[in-house]
Amino acid sequence: MSLINTQGLSKNYGSVKALDSLDLSVEPGEPIALIGPNGAGKTTLLSLLCGFIQPSAGSAQMLGHEVGSSTLRGKVAALPQDAHLDPRFSINRQLKFFARLQGFSGSSANEEVQRVLDAVLLSDAGVKKPGELSHGMRKRVSIAQALMGNPELVLLDEPTAGIDPPNVKIIRDLIRSESTNKTFVISSHNLDELEKLCGTVVYLNEGKLVETGPLVATSNDGYLTIRLPVAPEDQFMRECKKLSGVLDVQRQAQGDYLIQHTQGQAVDQALLTMLAKNSWQYRHLIKGRSLEDRLYG
Amino acid sequence: MINIALNEWARLFLASRGWLAIVAFSLVWVVFLMYVIAPAARYVSSPEMGGLVDLILGRLGSRTLSEWQSVEIGLYWLFSLFLLPFFTMVSAADQFASDKARGTMRFLVLRASRTQIFFGRFIGQYLIQLFIILLTFVSVVVLIAFNAPENVDAALQEAPVVLVNLALVLLPYVALMALLSVFAKTARQATLLAIVGWIMLWFLISYIQSKYGPYSFLDWVLPGSQLTSLVRLAGWDTLSLAPIPIAHTVVLIVVGWFAMQRSDI
Repeated sequence: MSLINTQGLSKNYGSVKALDSLDLSVEPGEPIALIGPNGAGKTTLLSLLCGFIQPSAGSAQMLGHEVGSSTLRGKVAALPQDAHLDPRFSINRQLKFFARLQGFSGSSANEEVQRVLDAVLLSDAGVKKPGELSHGMRKRVSIAQALMGNPELVLLDEPTAGIDPPNVKIIRDLIRSESTNKTFVISSHNLDELEKLCGTVVYLNEGKLVETGPLVATSNDGYLTIRLPVAPEDQFMRECKKLSGVLDVQRQAQGDYLIQHTQGQAVDQALLTMLAKNSWQYRHLIKGRSLEDRLYG
Repeated sequence: MINIALNEWARLFLASRGWLAIVAFSLVWVVFLMYVIAPAARYVSSPEMGGLVDLILGRLGSRTLSEWQSVEIGLYWLFSLFLLPFFTMVSAADQFASDKARGTMRFLVLRASRTQIFFGRFIGQYLIQLFIILLTFVSVVVLIAFNAPENVDAALQEAPVVLVNLALVLLPYVALMALLSVFAKTARQATLLAIVGWIMLWFLISYIQSKYGPYSFLDWVLPGSQLTSLVRLAGWDTLSLAPIPIAHTVVLIVVGWFAMQRSDI
């Protein structure tokens, strides 16, 4: 059974096609990265799947049920973009109300609220009102509401947008630990973050599906990406090109290099030997290209 | 749906803004009781002036106050028929507006159907209005108990007719605010839409009636259009007009429910 299936799913805002005849099939498993530039249709797709907006055409199913079906309640959870809790009431009160809507009784609702607040490391925040929390903490509370019950699918729209690094790490660790029994779909612009978390990528652009498949694609064969903090650029590139099988070396960003080599030929051992010989330290070595380079390079 | 309806009470009583509204209404109501109903009841009860008031009310087409077993209840009935709908348009205005604007509605839609949310909030708000009717009526009975204890029994005998009728009168106003708060971004905007819309529709109907009418069905289009006829009736005869607010409610609630289903949140 597919996790998400769409057939000709479209959403128009006047003459603007936010989503254009999207045919998509995604299987459950590792977290799924939903990526694309601004206006690509990521939030529109998630909003359609959550039933916040109506499609202009086409249909969508999640876990084998039509979107909007009452069967999906409790099985699908979400962190909607730009959704805020009511500032007048405490976090505990609002989460407890959500828990009761999901079928928890009085005492078990309290326990569930505490469980999800513990999970986002905000055990003591329940008595506070949303306005008393920082932006990052409010985001974590919103993620906590998405973990209530036992959802099979969790849709997260920009979970780390505008969040400081410590909060990003907490969210990343949480998603990683929760991924064992549920599938996350994460929409984000932070490709580094998605590479650390996701196994599958869905790439949208201008409302259309550009690519879907494993994050480590076969098109990655024949590439190495290395980050060197302090090596001299020209000398490193020169030494690299001397290695057997290396076809090209490109500098990507400060300290990042993309090495293209003959497919099937192992270059990494020779590369590491060359680094050791020159006493150059490396920060990380990735087999293949970075997601950013693959999609936008 | 029950959880959502009950949460409307929490939204009113657990928020400082809700308490502020309750305190403000209570203060206005106490002033109204002390400085309008109580003196008016004394004035009407006096043999010299009562006849004059009855004459005026009779001329206006209203059932005269001397026909009421309790003058205070008669006055309460007259005033609350026109005041409580206005209060409802203010207090029931935020059924969906601010939650939609803030995105809080998205958290709810993930857990309950739009139908459950729509009717849950409508029922919750209507129960609050019933509570307000009961509270205002009890306050008048307390006033009678202080001023003329011998009239308390008479007031209680009038209670069922007055309470049932007020409950019917407010029903379409709660439905109207449910519909408007689907579209409005704030409670204030919903109230303004209700008042401005009501006045514009009234002008439009008056124009059509004078230019092309009269069409009798147009007399019953606006919520509250039965009120002037209602004040002429007594006892359970008043229920002969009950189909009008019920029809208004059904139309408004169906349109509101449909708008809620189609609305982006």
